[in-house]
Amino acid sequence: MKNTVYLLFILVTGSIAQAQLSISSGEHNLEISARLSTYYNQRFLNPGEEERDKNRFKLRDAQLIIEGRIKNDWEYEVQVDFADIGANSSTDIDPANPGLMDAFVTYKGFDPFNIKVGYSKLPYSRSSLTPFPYSTYWQRAQVVRGDIFSRRDVGITLYKDLWKKRINAYAGMYTGLGEASISGDNDASGNPEFIGRVDLSYPAPMKYRQVDYVHTPIPLFSIGVNGRYSNKNLPEGEVFPEGATGEYGLKLIDGKKYTYGMDLTFQYMGFSGQFEIHQVNAQPQNENDPLFLGLTPEQTDGKVLAGGYFSEVNYFFKKQKTIVSVRYEQLDLNDLNQGDSKRMSAAIAYQLKGFNAMVKLQYFNNLNQQESLDPLDWNEQVRLGLQFNL
Amino acid sequence: MNKIVITVLGMVLCFSSMYAQETIKLKPTDKKSIDVPEPSDIAYSSDGKSLFVVSDNGYLFETDLEGTILRKADYQGLDDEAVYANDSHVYVVEEYSRKIKMFRLPDLTLEKTVAIPYSGGRNKAYEGFTYNKAKGVFSLFVEKDPLYVFELNEKLEKVNEINLGDLARDISAATYYDNYLWLLSDEDRTIFKVNPTDYTVVAQWVIPVLNAEGLAFDKNGDFIVASDALQRLYYFNNPENNQ
Repeated sequence: MKNTVYLLFILVTGSIAQAQLSISSGEHNLEISARLSTYYNQRFLNPGEEERDKNRFKLRDAQLIIEGRIKNDWEYEVQVDFADIGANSSTDIDPANPGLMDAFVTYKGFDPFNIKVGYSKLPYSRSSLTPFPYSTYWQRAQVVRGDIFSRRDVGITLYKDLWKKRINAYAGMYTGLGEASISGDNDASGNPEFIGRVDLSYPAPMKYRQVDYVHTPIPLFSIGVNGRYSNKNLPEGEVFPEGATGEYGLKLIDGKKYTYGMDLTFQYMGFSGQFEIHQVNAQPQNENDPLFLGLTPEQTDGKVLAGGYFSEVNYFFKKQKTIVSVRYEQLDLNDLNQGDSKRMSAAIAYQLKGFNAMVKLQYFNNLNQQESLDPLDWNEQVRLGLQFNL
Repeated sequence: MNKIVITVLGMVLCFSSMYAQETIKLKPTDKKSIDVPEPSDIAYSSDGKSLFVVSDNGYLFETDLEGTILRKADYQGLDDEAVYANDSHVYVVEEYSRKIKMFRLPDLTLEKTVAIPYSGGRNKAYEGFTYNKAKGVFSLFVEKDPLYVFELNEKLEKVNEINLGDLARDISAATYYDNYLWLLSDEDRTIFKVNPTDYTVVAQWVIPVLNAEGLAFDKNGDFIVASDALQRLYYFNNPENNQ
């Protein structure tokens, strides 16, 4: 019986090898692809807690992706997640799953740099830029999920690769509203956000990937630094658009916000590792801003620091088509408040057809819950599901 | 529960380094940087005095055997991924446009363009092209998802289509030598010796080359492999020569 079920599973997933479709007129090529993923989530609540609404099946992704290229000069992409559109219609926009994921055009015919305009991922954080289907996990690390800085926005990005593609440099200007930017106007300050990033790989260019699925025969390293700045002093009586400030009120600050971070990654013979750290320096213009937690200017020095880091290690068992990963992460939502949160995650993914069809299992464990700004009613969580790229 | 999970995964990660591949591994005898940016395939010239090299940027070069550029075709293609040369023409395959371009050998001028439509992924299309003397056809290899070989007649018309199943995770180059087809896989970092009539694998060797995209044989029958990411040529002794 067990063999019959396995055989049926392999037969069904075998046809998934036919991933992506394209239409070409020779100079204009249009590719259509889809992404589906679903999982079951089980939470293990703290003693005395009764809210079990997260014990559920969830449709995580139901995406349609259209990518086009015209000669060597133009590229465009529209990516929509219908699962997020359904979920976000009744709640605030989830920054990790915003519904509209990409809608941009890139011009590559200008020699000094490429120009990208529209709504897309921001050039900040290597983990954020790494496509999710290449991950073992069901969830990105807390610090890069989009709760303390936005991951997507409308604006313009100029970018260029140098030194045989080993160096990538990005600079851009955006609304600063992040995922909320697609809902319409800017905030009342009318000011933009500026972002810059540079990464260097050696001895060869490195794609934004979590797993060394090629078993790279020489050690590959990459280091990236990035920063962003916004000055969004709101006129008196004005507020930010609903949901734009994010779950912790950190994505948009009524004042100046500096965010900076760095990332390191390596790949060698199936092993890969990532380390990333970010810090927010928020300088609200009003002394009674909620971020100051009721403290006096003498106590706060007029600023609030937030941030965190994560590190993860992965290994790809090529013959067994299996990836194992372990991650440790830390997040401090406000330095004026005692404590932080620490979390350990482990994940395993089995490839039915490469990254096109994977079974993924992630285990979450909260190592401490001293962050009173975001108290959790659970300690452990398990998430098991399937991911398809078609 | 958390301690058990973390311990098990930690042990798996540690023991993974002891895991050994069974396939024979080759070591390069030499390696050289070349001037061609992002070389995506190489082909030995029929007189054995030069190499033809195509690049991702859509250029066709002729180089000496050390990789120094001798001449460049007056042409810019769209994502060149395969090249093959005989004693009269050089054939260049564009993955993105699904076209084969036929250049006259003496002056590298474009003589003919043939479209071979394929509706698979934009960057999962043609990666290898060579003439299969055993069957009297050109063999055009699709990279992955799925692995196809299209057989073309002398007029470059498609006459057959074969699904190669799980032969490799991908195919990044193809060439014909000593009555066999030889395929290169970038993701498996492997050279496959393949029966040219039924495309079954006869032998295989793992090579330590990052982003291996081009495969050719020199006049001694040894392997030359091009690394796209490192812009290098790697030279290997052919184990079959010693048998």
